Amino acid sequence: MVCRRYTNKAAEPWPENATLYQPLKEDQILLSDCASSLAVQAYLRMCGLPVQVFCRANAEYMSPSGKIPFIHVGNQVVSELGPIVQFTKAKGHSLSDGLDDVQRAEMKAYMELVNNMLLTAELYIQWCDDSTATEISRPRYSSPYSWPLNKILAYQKQWEVRRKMNAIGWGGKTLEQVYEDVSQCCQALSQRLGTQSYFFNKQPTELDALVFGHLFTILTTRLTSTELAERVKSYSNLLSFCRRIEQTYFEDKSS
Amino acid sequence: MNQNMAAAMELRCWGGDWGLPSVHTESLIVLLLKAYTKFSGAKVAVSPIDWTWKTITVTVPELVCGDTAVQEPTQILNFLRKQRFNADYELTARQGADTMAYIALLEEKLQPALLHTFWVDAENYSNLTRPWFASRSPFPLNFFVPGRLASGALSRILLTTGEAPLHRISEVEGKIYSDAKECLNLLSYRLGTANFFFGNSPTSLDAFAFGFLAPLHKASLPSSPLQSHLRQLDNLTGFCDNILAVYFSSDHFCKIAAQAGPLPPVQETMDANLQKLTQLVNKESNLIEKMDDNLRSSPQHKPHRPEPKPSLSSAKSSTPA
Repeated sequence: MVCRRYTNKAAEPWPENATLYQPLKEDQILLSDCASSLAVQAYLRMCGLPVQVFCRANAEYMSPSGKIPFIHVGNQVVSELGPIVQFTKAKGHSLSDGLDDVQRAEMKAYMELVNNMLLTAELYIQWCDDSTATEISRPRYSSPYSWPLNKILAYQKQWEVRRKMNAIGWGGKTLEQVYEDVSQCCQALSQRLGTQSYFFNKQPTELDALVFGHLFTILTTRLTSTELAERVKSYSNLLSFCRRIEQTYFEDKSS
Repeated sequence: MNQNMAAAMELRCWGGDWGLPSVHTESLIVLLLKAYTKFSGAKVAVSPIDWTWKTITVTVPELVCGDTAVQEPTQILNFLRKQRFNADYELTARQGADTMAYIALLEEKLQPALLHTFWVDAENYSNLTRPWFASRSPFPLNFFVPGRLASGALSRILLTTGEAPLHRISEVEGKIYSDAKECLNLLSYRLGTANFFFGNSPTSLDAFAFGFLAPLHKASLPSSPLQSHLRQLDNLTGFCDNILAVYFSSDHFCKIAAQAGPLPPVQETMDANLQKLTQLVNKESNLIEKMDDNLRSSPQHKPHRPEPKPSLSSAKSSTPA
């Protein structure tokens, strides 16, 4: 009985008023959240599903899992790229149907590589590097709130992220080692992409959306040092990959 | 050429049981790499930390080379690579990239479920894991070590997969097990019918996969849906058994004397291994050296070898600092 109810909900077509929520773009959003949000937006555009982007200061608290971004479709709320991909698949829209089993295994493995290395490195640089945390992350994260709430929330978030870094073994790493990990990850992505337009065949998949979201954000976000962007820029095929996706799917936004 | 660099490296890890050279996932990864690089000349002595105070002071696995100590399998891999003992030497750039991606997949999707199966699941923990680790720790550490490892495992699972409102382990259990089963399926598709993931010899991806899969395959867990799922994937269980037979067969010889009673599956593979071993002994004199190390011979024992290796004798004659 539960299955039947689920299929009925999933069979509803994608509504026109689907919305995506993220923190405030100019003042509040941080590098890692911006990357995740851009990845979801790219994925939905690749599927041809319209979605409106709303910026809310409390987006993180509205999200069912506490992670950004989340989408509000019909009467359902789904957050993070993985569950959103499954949700759209249940509605009949999928980018990876044409892949065989081995290719799908590769795609998932590379997505985990991006999450494991790029996202973790972004979080590390934002919250565990003291200069970035003091000058950029804490002020931005707590900008919508007044004293003393802003101080409390900022330090609480920093403590949470540092605890997670320690648990996965990144607590003892230096900034230089983190940059080195980013370089290795980019090198792996660059070698996998080669001279192709997208990672698999001629069609983009969720892996392309995820990689685009992270790399584009890294390239266009100003941090205390340009080292991170420089590391990504040294791989020319990744640069042209980002430019191509931006021109193909975001051309109404490009200058 | 290698003897200058191979200045008595020592690997500290948990000991073995259930037919494995070590029951600890991360130690297994490094042990397979060590077994492989043994044939390219790396001299790494394995010292299990069972029944020593190192169970509480040292994070295993740990590779000690002279003054430097390296921890974590990935760091140890990089260290060995810098010392020119590289298992990934023959991989193409694309295969190297695939290796990184699959290792990330294993760490993100499979490891939480493995940690849960061994350390958080109440039945497995109280019947298998805690007694084993408690029996291998000296008194009074046997009261502390398993609990410490278990709480470390639980916090790692919650911090990496448990989202903010779901701080209870019961709510993430379903997700981590379904992720792990999917990961096992993906690995199975990727491996196909081959013996190793790339070509005919093991690489670092094989080491990581073996490290994660072998304890799940061999441990006698009272309750594990994940283990039954793995047992349905024949190519993955065959992969583990193949590596055990080829690279750890001589270890079985030594441990079979120490164990209370040999397990029947190990007995069968050992007869086949005897033949393989004879062939290897004729080919590689290193193998005799490896058996000597594994037997942990006493200091007075003189190795019987046609040509004494200068590194080994110098290592034995030097007094520990």
